[in-house]
Amino acid sequence: MTEPIIRLKNIHKRYGDTEVLKGINIELEEGKFYTLLGPSGCGKTTILRIIAGFTDATEGDVLFDGQRINDLPANKRKVNTVFQDYALFPHMNVNENVAFGLRMQNQLSKAEIKTRVQDALASVQLQGYGERAISELSGGQQQRVAIARAIVLKPRMLLLDEPLSALDAKLRRDMQYELRDLQQSLGITFLFVTHDQEEALAMSDDIFVMNTGLVLQSGTPVDIYDEPINHFVADFIGESNILSGTMIKDYEVEFVGKQFECADAGMKPNEPVEVVLRPEDLDITTPEQGKLTVTIDSQLFRGDYHEIVAYDEDQNEWLIHSTNPAVAGQKVGLTFEPYDIHVMRLHESEEEFDARLEKYEDGEEAHT
Amino acid sequence: MSRRQYANWGYYIPYGLWIGLFVIAPVGLIIYQSFLNLNHHFTLANYETYFKSGTYLMMTVNSLWWAFLITVFTLLISYPAAYYIHQLKHRQLWLLLTILPTWINLLLKAYAFIGIFSQSGVVNQFLGLFGIAPQQILFTNFSFVFVATYIQIPFMILPIYNSIDDVSDSYINASRDLGATSWQTFSKVIWPLTLPGVKAGVQSVFIPSLSLFMLTRLIGGNKVITLGTAIEEHFLTTMNWGMGSTIGVVLIIAMVIIMMLTGDRQADGGRVR
Amino acid sequence: MTKRIHWSNLYLILVFIVLYAPIIFLVVYSFNSGTTMDHFNGFTLSHYGELFADTRLIAIVLQTLLIALLSALISTIIGTLGTLWIQQTSRPFFKNTLLSLNNILIVSPDVIIGASFLIFFTTLSIPLGFTSVLLSHIAFSIPIVVLMVLPRLKELNSSMLDAAADLGANQAQILREVIIPFITPGIFSGFFMALTYSLDDFAVTFFVTGNGFTTLSVEIYSRARQGISLEINALSGLLFVLTLGLILGYYFVSQSHQRRMLKRKRGVAK
Repeated sequence: MTEPIIRLKNIHKRYGDTEVLKGINIELEEGKFYTLLGPSGCGKTTILRIIAGFTDATEGDVLFDGQRINDLPANKRKVNTVFQDYALFPHMNVNENVAFGLRMQNQLSKAEIKTRVQDALASVQLQGYGERAISELSGGQQQRVAIARAIVLKPRMLLLDEPLSALDAKLRRDMQYELRDLQQSLGITFLFVTHDQEEALAMSDDIFVMNTGLVLQSGTPVDIYDEPINHFVADFIGESNILSGTMIKDYEVEFVGKQFECADAGMKPNEPVEVVLRPEDLDITTPEQGKLTVTIDSQLFRGDYHEIVAYDEDQNEWLIHSTNPAVAGQKVGLTFEPYDIHVMRLHESEEEFDARLEKYEDGEEAHT
Repeated sequence: MSRRQYANWGYYIPYGLWIGLFVIAPVGLIIYQSFLNLNHHFTLANYETYFKSGTYLMMTVNSLWWAFLITVFTLLISYPAAYYIHQLKHRQLWLLLTILPTWINLLLKAYAFIGIFSQSGVVNQFLGLFGIAPQQILFTNFSFVFVATYIQIPFMILPIYNSIDDVSDSYINASRDLGATSWQTFSKVIWPLTLPGVKAGVQSVFIPSLSLFMLTRLIGGNKVITLGTAIEEHFLTTMNWGMGSTIGVVLIIAMVIIMMLTGDRQADGGRVR
Repeated sequence: MTKRIHWSNLYLILVFIVLYAPIIFLVVYSFNSGTTMDHFNGFTLSHYGELFADTRLIAIVLQTLLIALLSALISTIIGTLGTLWIQQTSRPFFKNTLLSLNNILIVSPDVIIGASFLIFFTTLSIPLGFTSVLLSHIAFSIPIVVLMVLPRLKELNSSMLDAAADLGANQAQILREVIIPFITPGIFSGFFMALTYSLDDFAVTFFVTGNGFTTLSVEIYSRARQGISLEINALSGLLFVLTLGLILGYYFVSQSHQRRMLKRKRGVAK
């Protein structure tokens, strides 16, 4: 494993009596796209500010290339930030904004600055906009200037604080592709902060899901989506049906009064658990063929699918995504595959979760 | 947020010196001086004189009364004016025209009224058209209040205008939408929302009105004696600085009371001095 | 509706007539060939002639301008730095104390400022005259500058300062490249306000001026106490034109600044 570019060791941040970060341990490797994902107030922006040097950690170490940089001021750190409100200087035009960081170094020639500014603007598709005032740019263009201003300094790492939140939906999707491309072409580490789970899933190599000052789960988008560690993560990442149940034994779980075959193992017999079923994994069929019988309550057309709400006999709500519409009031059956069922232990930490996963996956391989 | 420093501490020294030398020291000195007699000995006699002799107390009450009258008249004229100016199309231009007279030296305006109000002046000539014999207008209480009101009007219009400007049109639309009449909209929505501006205006008119000694001299003909007149007289004519300072302390206390009555508003917009 | 507008216009016309009548009255009589403000006897420029021949008065005008420019310049520098201090202060109690101390001279009546400065200068044995008047004008202009600059400084986002630091600017560079250019409009209006306060001041100057030195306001006061002199009317006429010129100039400068911005925008858009 290569030496991580940034390592946060047991970072705490307190404002008076409130603790916004409660022991963060994160390692970020060179050249990857990371996302800090969580609801507002979970402390994700604070982590960004601590790495950038705008705020101090109350406790813990920030290591850059293995060097402790807690006491290094922001202007000496080799990371740059794209701000949520862009923070472009209104009294300077586009060129002057982008050139700002280069001029501050006091050692580059005018010609050199000019070339690098041009290159940076080109890399965000803003050639020819150099002389414009900031006020006459659209939100998307300002966003690009903010990125150009940061990458012109060739930072080892770029921090992005909810940079897409002010853009409209269409532009946001385009920018997601562009940011991803930019990260790959520059080959530097991106640390992206967002509360938008779709954005996080679409762009990241790795996601850190956060809540109330803690990292709950980290992993690839697929891992986190398929194997959420707990109720919060399952609920926050995508839509899900979450039911309480009992793990009868390995590969057999009971919920809504029935027993089902599943793909999870490594728990105690008869351990109370929570079960996640993603709406798109549920298929509607006849009541006879279904593993469950539900009654359709209502549905909304979402464009690429129908979102259907149904209730079973115990009045549990079921959310189903289906390409075909359903008929309200109709009794239908629901089917799903054993591997669609994801079982979560209550109060399991990330380490325990990883250890268990490794253990029974190894067992599975030996088994087959 | 981490501690942010804009500049070296050295840059702040002049401002700190200013606070020490020109804000704190003078206030301290005037209080100290109020306890000194003509021979620079410590005494309570100044305060004793102030509270025991009826003239000083009467003068204070009178001064407050005149300032009150000036403030009321100014407010009565300025509120509708600010309200109507705000409805105009080129309101910024008209606001500028309202402020423009304040850039003409106050003494020149007072001087103009010496001509206008004199025995054979324009006003008396106008009254003469109706067969009214020339009146003594200059050097009366009326002329003092009139000229003071005239001078203060722009300083009242400006804060009221600003507070009206701050009232979003959507509040007024909402009020109308909910069935309020124009008068109800004014009394229940606009007036309460513009009250901060009125308070600011009252503050910036009442306090200076206590100390308009040049007007009492030029227009009031020494018939009106305000706190300001008395202070000026003690400092520059009779050279009794102790007594002058005592009245000054009374004026400062009056000022603090006014400030508290009109709320701990941030001083903004318009002149207050 | 139309009727209400009609009445409101009438009211405004009345207010504006009252506001401007005395000023126009003064200026009109400056051309009066008589010697009083009672009857207009005929047109003459002789009072302007008197005015320009009055070297004492011209000297006073120049002194007044010198005091105004110097005090505005110095108070703008000190006030701007003070604003930075107030804004960077993070403890609310200390910040409010600073602001209250700042505002004391703004809310204090002129006579109190004048009287207390007089005691102050006498205590320190500073001679009354040019120095004392200049110091007083600087002193009462500083808080005005602060009040003009502070709102602008508050508009400066903290993320903008974070951005500057993030891009490698040190404290001095942030001040020079970001903060000062950003608050420049506030600094200019502060300077302008300080200038007008200084030119307009009578009461404070009256207390601290002593015998040898005088400013225009004080001079007008002493002449007006002696009665009508149409030379003062001529002076008002001149000052009125000067004031108008100053305001128009100020507007022209701010307008042309905007135009330049516009031109730059348009030049690129092509």
